[in-house]
Amino acid sequence: MDNIIIIAESRATGADLKTTRLGTRFGRMDLSSQLALLAVEPLAAHFDKWDRARIGICLAATAGSLSTDLDYWNGRATPAGPSPTLFAYTLPSAAIGEIAIRHRLTGPGLCLVGSDELAICEATDLVRNGECDACLCVSCRVISAAAAALINLPPDALADAFLLRLAGHEHQRV
Amino acid sequence: MPDTPDTISRPVVVAGCGAITAVGCGVDQLEAALRQNVSGLRPVEQFHSPRFQSNIVGAALPDADIEDPAYWLATAALGQAVAEARTVLGSLDRARIALVLATTKANINALERLADGRPCGASARRHLQGDLLAADLALEHGAHGPVRCVSTACVSGLIALSRGAALIQNGSADAVLVAGVDHLSAFIVAGFTALKAIDPQGCRPFDRDRCGLSPGEAGAAMVLVRADLAPPDALVIRAWGGSNDANHLTGPSRDGSGLAQAIRSALDAARLAPAEIDYINAHGTGTPYNDAMESKALHTVFGAECPPVSAFKGMLGHTLGAAGVVETIGCVLALRGGFLPGTPGLAMPDEGVPASLVRVPRAASRLKQVMKLNTGFGGINGALILGYG
Repeated sequence: MDNIIIIAESRATGADLKTTRLGTRFGRMDLSSQLALLAVEPLAAHFDKWDRARIGICLAATAGSLSTDLDYWNGRATPAGPSPTLFAYTLPSAAIGEIAIRHRLTGPGLCLVGSDELAICEATDLVRNGECDACLCVSCRVISAAAAALINLPPDALADAFLLRLAGHEHQRV
Repeated sequence: MPDTPDTISRPVVVAGCGAITAVGCGVDQLEAALRQNVSGLRPVEQFHSPRFQSNIVGAALPDADIEDPAYWLATAALGQAVAEARTVLGSLDRARIALVLATTKANINALERLADGRPCGASARRHLQGDLLAADLALEHGAHGPVRCVSTACVSGLIALSRGAALIQNGSADAVLVAGVDHLSAFIVAGFTALKAIDPQGCRPFDRDRCGLSPGEAGAAMVLVRADLAPPDALVIRAWGGSNDANHLTGPSRDGSGLAQAIRSALDAARLAPAEIDYINAHGTGTPYNDAMESKALHTVFGAECPPVSAFKGMLGHTLGAAGVVETIGCVLALRGGFLPGTPGLAMPDEGVPASLVRVPRAASRLKQVMKLNTGFGGINGALILGYG
């Protein structure tokens, strides 16, 4: 079986939001998408090693989009009703879209609700199956205090990103 | 574990299907509706409010006050699929049976109940989390192998099927229960209302006057197994492909290039030429931009010789995370029955849509390979090919 190697990794936390903004739309995004983008940013230097249509994105969201769901649903009481912008972020996979747009990554995408171990497992599978040459694996643990009160997980605001490829396939760009 | 699995050398086949939809309980009801081209969309009192763009929806539940509708729909559909596949599943070690759930919002009903101060039991609350819903469904239906919860917008169902097939191909499981579920909720209908994405008259895919989707709900399930465990005439999951538009969070790319890329990936993986596809089941949301984009993608890949195309959302509504599974089941029924399903809601095809659009069902002269398409927010596209041999 071909080995998979992690060629780069990065982490973003809530503290990074105080010092960094990525693009004009950044402020309109939910916290998961913001942290995912921040975590991925240091890995972008590697993307030119491959055809960007051959880079997949595999994201795991520990608590889905529950924190954003609560923010969105609380908006129903306002005169304008719930926000259409926020509605788009009530999908945990929204962060995949934001990463793809920023870095022009047009390969396959997969979003799971669950742990980072699952994301790495599935990302490995995507590469081994030949569905992509490299896979950006992102784990978002974003749980607001309000969301934590609903589920048995502690509050958190963290994203990790890993870039995976098959061992021995470093120069595949066409 | 085997090296580099591929769909040609290690085929995965369909051993069972189950569906609870707006046209009834069970795949027989779904097949009857497909053959008669009837729509299950109807006005529902729960959504009769100025807060919502329309109350015409694809309702599948017998009672709008069920506390845990996601679990109810998913477990009912799984029960049907597992019953059809009971012979093969009964012969397997349960640790070799996996479950992949596709859902966008799991039991979002619990969030509404808690916000409104209505009663909400521990189980319903637990199923706010899709991964826990998946774990409980796996336990109930005897899947003690790997469990996954895919939540990739409206492509979730299609991706769940592909990840399920991949689990078999890479040796992680001998059988996979793939379930798709999402239920109607004020949360969802208010969101699509805010986006002005609902057609007040009901979804009309590819129609000249289309102006949006109809929210729907469904529980759908398929049992996938290693081909050597199933009868030789079982339908094969041939291949799949995925892509991202990298263009806009909620709108499709205008030129269809992202979806065309996914279609070509699937064709390449299946080692099929475009001309070998006999029928395409489109995503067909009925929104102006989606259907125009899909039409362009199909023209890009298939040119003027596009195979027959139809879409089911005018019958079932947009069932979100369940869409890929329930619409693939529709394709299975078409393949087994040798007919081309129609496109409920379509009256006058728009300019630029495929000339091969199927308005009303008809017998198929040739139906061996079928392609299912889905697209979703975040620019995510998927194509899956299933067929015989």
